Amino acid sequence: MPENRRVYLDHSATTPADPRVVAAMLPYLTEKFGNASSVHGFGQEARAAVDRARREVATLIGARANEVVFVSGGTEANNLAIRGVCEAAEAHGRHIITSAIEHSSLRGICEALEKRGWEVTRLPVYENGIVKVEDVQEALRPDTVLVSVMLANNEIGTIQPIEEIGSLVRSERQKSPRNIWFHTDAVQAAGRMELNVETLGCDLLSLSAHKLYAPKGAGALYVRRGVRLAPQNLGGHQERERRAGTEGVPGIVAFGEAAKLARQEMDQRAAHEVRLRNVFEKGVNERVDDIVFNGDPAGRLPHVSNISFRFIEGEGLLISLDLQGIAVSTGSACSSGTLEPSPVVIALGRNDELARGAIRFSFGKDNTEADVDYVLELLPRVVEKLRQLSPLNKLRKLEPVSVE
Amino acid sequence: MPYSQIFKNHFENPRNGGELKGADVVAEETNPVCGDRLRLALKINEGTIEAARFLAYGCPPVLVCGSALTELIQGKTTEEALLVTRKQLVAAVGGLPLRKQHAAALAIETLRSAIENKKSGGKPTFPT
Repeated sequence: MPENRRVYLDHSATTPADPRVVAAMLPYLTEKFGNASSVHGFGQEARAAVDRARREVATLIGARANEVVFVSGGTEANNLAIRGVCEAAEAHGRHIITSAIEHSSLRGICEALEKRGWEVTRLPVYENGIVKVEDVQEALRPDTVLVSVMLANNEIGTIQPIEEIGSLVRSERQKSPRNIWFHTDAVQAAGRMELNVETLGCDLLSLSAHKLYAPKGAGALYVRRGVRLAPQNLGGHQERERRAGTEGVPGIVAFGEAAKLARQEMDQRAAHEVRLRNVFEKGVNERVDDIVFNGDPAGRLPHVSNISFRFIEGEGLLISLDLQGIAVSTGSACSSGTLEPSPVVIALGRNDELARGAIRFSFGKDNTEADVDYVLELLPRVVEKLRQLSPLNKLRKLEPVSVE
Repeated sequence: MPYSQIFKNHFENPRNGGELKGADVVAEETNPVCGDRLRLALKINEGTIEAARFLAYGCPPVLVCGSALTELIQGKTTEEALLVTRKQLVAAVGGLPLRKQHAAALAIETLRSAIENKKSGGKPTFPT
């Protein structure tokens, strides 16, 4: 085994740009550098490329091209969706329904709205990490203007019942015509499962390019025709007045190419990732005791595996693996003597120890079986070494793990 | 800030990790806020720390501080060991980011608690 082997198992954080995506993008950094808003030939060349990319991104999610607003990434898409809808609908009500396991950007936006007097209902997830549609139904109020539930979770990969929530919101709107919209954050799900905004029944949907083998810096918000959205970037006519600022043409072109490849290769990528994940999870289960798998085993994205290792702390495991060239991530953060255990793992009803010991392994299209073998060889050793140094190790085998 | 080479070296090759058979005193302290936990066992002969062993649960700096602390105090008298400061320990691990300083504070607290226990009759806070 070569000493400097590197295995990247953090594709939920970001992905490398696909060489085909880079090739599509490069001309727009140099000879085709025009501003897409310019009237001359340079500008028109850039405009045409942005329009092509818009069609590709729209096709990936079954939308019309003019319903796609390009932004800088998933966080901006979420900001534009939530703040844009809330600002426009404020006169009709100030209540939002969301879930307890949203991405930190959604959490941050909701907290900021609460400070300004909005009320936020955070739906629980159960041990499987999935929201119940009945809970959405129960949380709906006459002053609810927005429901935002992510399509698939970024830490445990669980897929939420978006179609059911979508039809619930739609029927609510039909019952008494009013401003109530449904947003879903599809940043993790896009390119990893079939997405169609009509089937999903969502009014807004967030996407990010760099989770799809394109560079960082581009994203998109799908905005269904008829949704009232207050722009959050002002001072320009770009993106049909919904997002002022010169379009990041190279990043958008890359996003379009990546969306096309994701659509064409989705099935084979997903099958590959599931195969690797199955080998990985079976191997970990055989070689490491006192572990708990987090998230619904069946209802989750193909590439995510989240495991809590008892008696040790995720950050120690992360750094130990990093020193061996293996990149993973943890949802917990220990900082300035305060610990923020992963809110997602806590929402599953796990205790602090399991939340602290949770690690996310996320596979990608370029991982190989040799990568999995390497991790399976090192992981048990690294876990054992940390456990030998843990004062909690004495609890081993004494208490049964109370979940699953 | 990225961790230093000294830090990585302690993390990959922790010194004096484990339990200590026949320890004269054992202290285990936790940071109640974040749950970090450090256990320190000492063998003390005529006022001199002859052996120290640690166990750590928490983020890597807790483990690294435990490891570096045992190196700093072995061979010192208990009086000398009590003079070891948090700053010295941070320096011994090659520096720590501000948000991880609490790991060194926990290590010093555990050391003091162990030595105080010894003075008050040597009763371990936890059975070995």
